[in-house]
Amino acid sequence: MTKLAPVDILILALYFALVVFIGFYAKGKANTSEDFFLAGREMTAWIAGLSFVSANLGSLELMGWAGAAYQYGILAMHWYWIGAIPAMLFLGIVMMPFYYISKTHSVPGYLQLRFGEPARGLSAISFGIMTILMSGVNMYAMAVVMQTVLGWNISFSIWVGAATVALYVMLGGLRSAIINEVLQFVLIWAGAAMIPILGLIEAGGWTNLKAQIAVNVGRSDYTHLWSTLGHFKDNPMGVHWTGIVFGLGFVISFGYWTTDFLVVQRVLSANNLRAAKMAPVIGAAFKMAVPFIVIVPGLLALAVLKNPDGSVMHLVPASIAQVTGQHSYDDVLPLMLIRYCGPGLLGLGITALVAGFMSGMAGNVSAFSTVWTYDIYGAFINKKASDKHYVAMGRWSTVIGMLVSVATAYLVMNAASIMDYVQALFTFFIAPLFGTVVLGMLWKRATHAGGFCGLLAGTVSSIGMFVWTHSDPGALRYIALSADAKPMAENLYRGLWSWLICVSVTVIVSLVTKPVPVEQLGGLVYGVTPIPDDGSKTLWQKPIFWAIVVITIFFILNLMLW
Amino acid sequence: MNEKRDVETAELSIWFFCGILMLTYGVVLIATGILEYHNPPPNELLLPWLESLHPTLWWGMVMAVFGGIYTFKFWPKHPLF
Repeated sequence: MTKLAPVDILILALYFALVVFIGFYAKGKANTSEDFFLAGREMTAWIAGLSFVSANLGSLELMGWAGAAYQYGILAMHWYWIGAIPAMLFLGIVMMPFYYISKTHSVPGYLQLRFGEPARGLSAISFGIMTILMSGVNMYAMAVVMQTVLGWNISFSIWVGAATVALYVMLGGLRSAIINEVLQFVLIWAGAAMIPILGLIEAGGWTNLKAQIAVNVGRSDYTHLWSTLGHFKDNPMGVHWTGIVFGLGFVISFGYWTTDFLVVQRVLSANNLRAAKMAPVIGAAFKMAVPFIVIVPGLLALAVLKNPDGSVMHLVPASIAQVTGQHSYDDVLPLMLIRYCGPGLLGLGITALVAGFMSGMAGNVSAFSTVWTYDIYGAFINKKASDKHYVAMGRWSTVIGMLVSVATAYLVMNAASIMDYVQALFTFFIAPLFGTVVLGMLWKRATHAGGFCGLLAGTVSSIGMFVWTHSDPGALRYIALSADAKPMAENLYRGLWSWLICVSVTVIVSLVTKPVPVEQLGGLVYGVTPIPDDGSKTLWQKPIFWAIVVITIFFILNLMLW
Repeated sequence: MNEKRDVETAELSIWFFCGILMLTYGVVLIATGILEYHNPPPNELLLPWLESLHPTLWWGMVMAVFGGIYTFKFWPKHPLF
């Protein structure tokens, strides 16, 4: 535990002051529902793209995956690369035109256009539950940092973070959230980049780091991205490449990046179709760099983190840490921050972590208020209210959503670890939703009944598998198709199975129900929708060109760390 | 439409917010780095190799330069308040 110097407190206070100022500044520009929920649809590709990445950069991305890198080695990188990059590019190039030209306000709104009100209601309710729970995770993670680094009371940290985010989102809506998210993204880099830079200097470079990790953990599979995935037994995560490629890379990743309204909402704020297509491509390029400030510190900790007596420090799962008083995996990033950063830099690093958590919270709560107002309240409770009334409802739902999130933060204190909790949520709601949305966009024969039944079956089966494996751990061998599978594999294969169930049920029910007339599918489905020109004139302006550049770099990086 | 454009040019750019925050932090870090130059903080005493690098000072300079460029480039053309 450490103590903040006055200069650290000054840096933290400056940040909070600017964040609140932005809320008041943006309030004057959030008078209509289009302004409040979609930032007036006037963001450039760069702003929408950075906001797109930043909204995702919450507790899971910072502390959770730094901890996972310590626990499982470089395999954690998959959640940033194959678990994000192809899906982000797919969103920009293939799916964004449909979201954008349908002029929908939300992903459930698209489902309403394509599959009718029941599918919209189901997805809106499941999304609302997920976002509130995720927001709670972010709050809890921030409180853990404050407790670990500064010894602050967990409740105090939760309420300060929640009140600040609620204030600026309530005042300025999505515009305020986006301005702050771009600021937070810059700040995260400014505050966290010193850890890997100084860490790699201490470790003597990447090659020496790998050698030191092999010595400290007694095995050499912690620094290989793909070569250990041939069998569940060959890697510390207990997963197989099929789970990574199909479960994570295809289902969970595509589900999250293309259908989770938290991130899609940022892209919908773009000022034209080309910007909407470019934003995820720009986001993908920056996303590829984020492991440098998250995964590398986790790996560095395996090599350099030591106890006061000079012995190698061993971090433990949160459940053990609570009993023994040791540090848990989730503490990696704060511990590394304390190691390298003195007064000033420490304040900057703490502010960066706080900024990350706040961007995650703001992303969840702004998306929640949009989906609640448009897709639950406006669709089922009060259909004919004035625009002004919906803006007021957006502000109230921001505050109420935040209060429920606070309650959730106390709930997740009992979760085994932050990561387990979040992965479970993704597979409950996101994996089947992707099946429904992708079939809706690509297959004109999908019917309203098919979409609804598929989504329901996928969600229920995913929750069912979770309950099954948690009541009988032996069930994992059936879900992951191997007796050697470890718990992380469960998430990957559960996501894959729930997607397959969703798709199968959608196809079967669609084939036995009456097709939707083709004239009703214009602007919603490939094959019956003319794709409008995005206005790109030169090669440098074309989103597809930059998508190819990004995916090429993605392949090169994967080969380098094979 | 013209009226809308006028309003937009009067708005504070997101990049201006980024620039001003980075510049302020850079200045604060430079001042801290100078004060710590001959009085290293405890973590640098525990990690002696860190002392000669003066990370606070150098990082402060990097941030001040980036922040300064963005603040200058995106300084609002209209009065702030």
